Amino acid sequence: MLSTTRTRRPIGITITHIALAIAIGFGALAGAAGYWGVVVAPELTRSPNDAAVIAASRTVERGEILDRNGRVLARNERDENGELYRSYANQAVSQVVGYYSRRFGSAGLERAYSAELAGLATDPLADALRKFGGNPYDPQDLRLSLDYGLQRAAIRALGDQKGAVVMLDPTTGEVLAMASNPTYDASAIADPRTAEKTFAALQDDPDNPLLPRATLGRYVPGSVFKIVTAIAALGSGAITPETTFREQAEAGDDGLLVNGFRIREGHSLRRGQALTLPQATEISSNIFYALAGLETGGANLVDFAGRLGFGAPLPFDLPTAASQVTNGRGEDPGGFVDDVELANAAYGQGETFVTPLQMALVASTVANDGVLMKPRLVTALEGKRGTRELGPEELRRVISADDAQAIQGAMRRAVEGDLGRQFTSGAKVPGVSTAGKSGTAELGGSGEPHSWFIGFAPVNQPRIAIAVLVERAGRGGAVAAPIGGNLMARYFEEFGQ
Amino acid sequence: MTASARSRPAPALPRILGQIRPRPRWLELRLLVLVAIVLVVGSASLGATVRGRPDAGADLFDPSVWLPLDVTALAIYLGALFAAHAAQVLAGRRTDQVLLPAVGMLGGISLLLMQRLPQDLVGSGFFGAEGLGQVQLVWLLLSVAVATTVGIVVRSDSWLRQYKYTWAAAGIALLLLTFVFGSDVGGQRLTLVIGPFSGQPSELLKVILVIFLAGYLSENRALLVEQDTRLGPIRLPPIPYLVPMAAMWAIALGIVVVQRDLGAALLFFGVFLLLLYAATARISLVIGGLIAFFLGSAVLATLFEHIGTRIAIWLDPFADPLGAGYQVVQSLHAFARGGLLGMGLGNGLPMIGGRVTIPEVHTDFPLAALGEELGLIGVLGVLGIYLVIIERGLRIGAAAADDFRSLLATGLALVVGIQAFIIAAGNLKVLPLTGVTLPFISYGGSSLLVNGLVIGLLLALSDKGVEPPPPPRKRRLDRILRRGAP
Amino acid sequence: MDGFLIGLWVVRLLFLGLLYLFLFQIVRALVRDLRAATQSATAELGRLHVLASPSGDPPVGVAFSLDAITSLGRDVNNSIVIDDAFASTEHAVLTFRGRDWYVEDLDSTNGTYVNGNRVEGVAALGYGDELQIGQVRLRLERARR
Repeated sequence: MLSTTRTRRPIGITITHIALAIAIGFGALAGAAGYWGVVVAPELTRSPNDAAVIAASRTVERGEILDRNGRVLARNERDENGELYRSYANQAVSQVVGYYSRRFGSAGLERAYSAELAGLATDPLADALRKFGGNPYDPQDLRLSLDYGLQRAAIRALGDQKGAVVMLDPTTGEVLAMASNPTYDASAIADPRTAEKTFAALQDDPDNPLLPRATLGRYVPGSVFKIVTAIAALGSGAITPETTFREQAEAGDDGLLVNGFRIREGHSLRRGQALTLPQATEISSNIFYALAGLETGGANLVDFAGRLGFGAPLPFDLPTAASQVTNGRGEDPGGFVDDVELANAAYGQGETFVTPLQMALVASTVANDGVLMKPRLVTALEGKRGTRELGPEELRRVISADDAQAIQGAMRRAVEGDLGRQFTSGAKVPGVSTAGKSGTAELGGSGEPHSWFIGFAPVNQPRIAIAVLVERAGRGGAVAAPIGGNLMARYFEEFGQ
Repeated sequence: MTASARSRPAPALPRILGQIRPRPRWLELRLLVLVAIVLVVGSASLGATVRGRPDAGADLFDPSVWLPLDVTALAIYLGALFAAHAAQVLAGRRTDQVLLPAVGMLGGISLLLMQRLPQDLVGSGFFGAEGLGQVQLVWLLLSVAVATTVGIVVRSDSWLRQYKYTWAAAGIALLLLTFVFGSDVGGQRLTLVIGPFSGQPSELLKVILVIFLAGYLSENRALLVEQDTRLGPIRLPPIPYLVPMAAMWAIALGIVVVQRDLGAALLFFGVFLLLLYAATARISLVIGGLIAFFLGSAVLATLFEHIGTRIAIWLDPFADPLGAGYQVVQSLHAFARGGLLGMGLGNGLPMIGGRVTIPEVHTDFPLAALGEELGLIGVLGVLGIYLVIIERGLRIGAAAADDFRSLLATGLALVVGIQAFIIAAGNLKVLPLTGVTLPFISYGGSSLLVNGLVIGLLLALSDKGVEPPPPPRKRRLDRILRRGAP
Repeated sequence: MDGFLIGLWVVRLLFLGLLYLFLFQIVRALVRDLRAATQSATAELGRLHVLASPSGDPPVGVAFSLDAITSLGRDVNNSIVIDDAFASTEHAVLTFRGRDWYVEDLDSTNGTYVNGNRVEGVAALGYGDELQIGQVRLRLERARR
């Protein structure tokens, strides 16, 4: 029929479209409400920034924090008004345990596990039940893998030097010691009578004692980074443990020329010879690792470093800084500017920055036959309603066991070999086969270099892996290596060989 | 008109009075009874939570525990709703019966929320009202009164239809007044203070904008649905759209810059684009307008620090959870604490350690407070009520007798809907946080009165039986038809 | 768990449940209204019955169902084509506004007549009224329900 008119009446239809669009918009809002209110709610409600966590922390008697032997590291006290405050065992654990203060907030595990310590966020069912009354809070005690004796020994070993030590079990990822020096008196921050003065002084301290260097300090690695290059070179198949470079033999006393930049050795041992990976590792050859890095390529180097945990904060109980191979501003594969940067990075002197914890994981991965375990501090949460054990967690296999064993052998030569001994004096644990690598991180300018050591022992059945960093202390072999050796020896004293 | 016996002249005057006789509104009454039950139960839950808190072992069977928190306030509010119903029954108009109960429900939830938040968030009001809950009650009552009065009294739209340029001028004057004389509150220049009165002109401005746009678009719609301005190979919308579009774009960005009010700019421009689409059915205009707006905002974000900061906070509030991102982070935490079922009315955490958990919770974050206490279920319920109000308004628009009324009702519904969307999205980190209010729930006189006016106009427009719109003007029809001719 | 808290939660959940009952009620009202609207939207607003048509186009006896705006004239682009020698190309427009019908003469040469009276400009039209365009006579009738 002719009853329709062409031009008019679209308003009804367009309004229907608008109604539909509005409904979709509100659907999106409903989705967002579901996302925040249900999907990510468990994470948000146990965050230390959550109002309920903050409120509970003020009223609830927080759980205690215990070391692996049950020694109390953090407990509650009451002041003369009956108000609760925290008290800590020793300054040595402050950078791990942190502090909880009503005035100045919280840090360390006290912050990361604020919800659990205050008795919130135990498990979903308990959270649901809590709404129906009863005692709403079930404060959890934190059981740590930390060994109080070893931790104090680590702090003592650093003495008055700035630096960090990380010791962990390579097979389980349990952190036994994590020392950052200088440390601070957490009890003085938590105690309301001394809090203000202490906190103000700490914030003004130029040595920055509130910084947990082991997890948040980023340092030039120097030669310890060669182990990462070795992992990438072997793992990617770019070289084998027998590969040698003709260019190394041809490099004269002036070193190796890469794009007009000279790479020199730090010493004159075995000059003019083409070395294999174990030989080069023993004498810490810059030229070999520069060539190995160029052979591996930037993309592989960054990729394998990423598998070790570089490039993003590590999955850990405490906040960590991301370690980097390069700042990624270049156009070359992996983000390097040119081959010069890649060659320098391969022996740890490019735009490479690492945390001590990350380097401990590198040693731990080699020790654990190429498998990276998730580093852990908290092994159990103990509450009134029972204990929740947190077991070991394998993050990923980084390289094959064969490749890992080749590096183990190379690192053993670096500690026990006739030439290697000169670079890692004192790293050898008496009576225990020991592997390691020292590092001397040149910073440019006139200051002393950072002193590094990473290692593990025993070589065949590794039980302890370590990373030692001492800021501006001199050569790695002279300062960090003996600290590493002594602390590993201390471990075997305590835990038996 | 020289016409004869049977061909009557079109009625030019509204048929007032004489015909008024009471007409029952059973649906509205049924819904209002339900509203009353819901609010009494909610208030009892709130009262019991507040009273039961000091001594955890309150007696389940003690009736005094279960009294509403503020019996008088609740009784007055419900009384006002039923009085509004009674007035409409007596007036006998065939207006919408869902809007009043739906808005009444939102207002009631607002009342419960404001009674439960810290009362000292506002100073004392007037009529002896003290504290947040009582002041909000006064505004709610006035809002219901405005809605009902407008819904009953307005029977002719000629005062809106004929003076659209006057309205536009008034709107621009109001805007300029705010630009120049507005006082800065919290970095935004939203409040206009004249003597003892203060208010937010952008609330009123949105209604004026809709009236003007409805008039302008309905007059030019038929003429220009399919004409294009050609600029070489580029097809542009016809000039009469291009000009107001550019003007609206400039005004919206001007509001962003001068008033620092991203919310109002988004609201105005969004309403404008959707009305444009309603009138022309050209999606390209909407897309083009949105692109222009976002490009403009992006340029402004680089030029003006405060806009850039807002956008940075929106993208990652957790980067600075205790500083810049604090409000939004706490809002999200409130939704998270609420979970599925909520903590229960009165059981949330509006204060910690003597400070308000979410600053400006009563104006900018009422949805987050509801999320904490009523949970996801409650938030979805509230959003659902908004959706019904909007769809109801759009329905009134679709059924209206002519283009002007159609666009007017659509625009009024959109003003409420888009505003609710913008602030809810801000609370949920879907959009950057802005300072617009959540209609009918946020604390605030300007917002409640103007939204009452909007509901009143929608009610009036929903009555199709009163005055027919003026017959189409000849000149216009002529052109419609001539366009089709070869 | 004590009884008071359980009771409190019952009331809290009752509140949420009642809120949804309310939502359900208003949504149902909306859906009913929309359903009624779709039914009436497809229905015609009125009918135009052809009483006399000397040229046979439109044929006598046919009833056109009417939309809100209906144009009449000799041109083929009109809603209802009146192929009559005395009709103009665009002769008249019939509109439905609110509850009333209006016819508007578009300056036709021979005029539009309602019940035999010539329309000047716009005129209201009632059901049963007779419209004459050229020699064609049509009667406005109520919509068929």
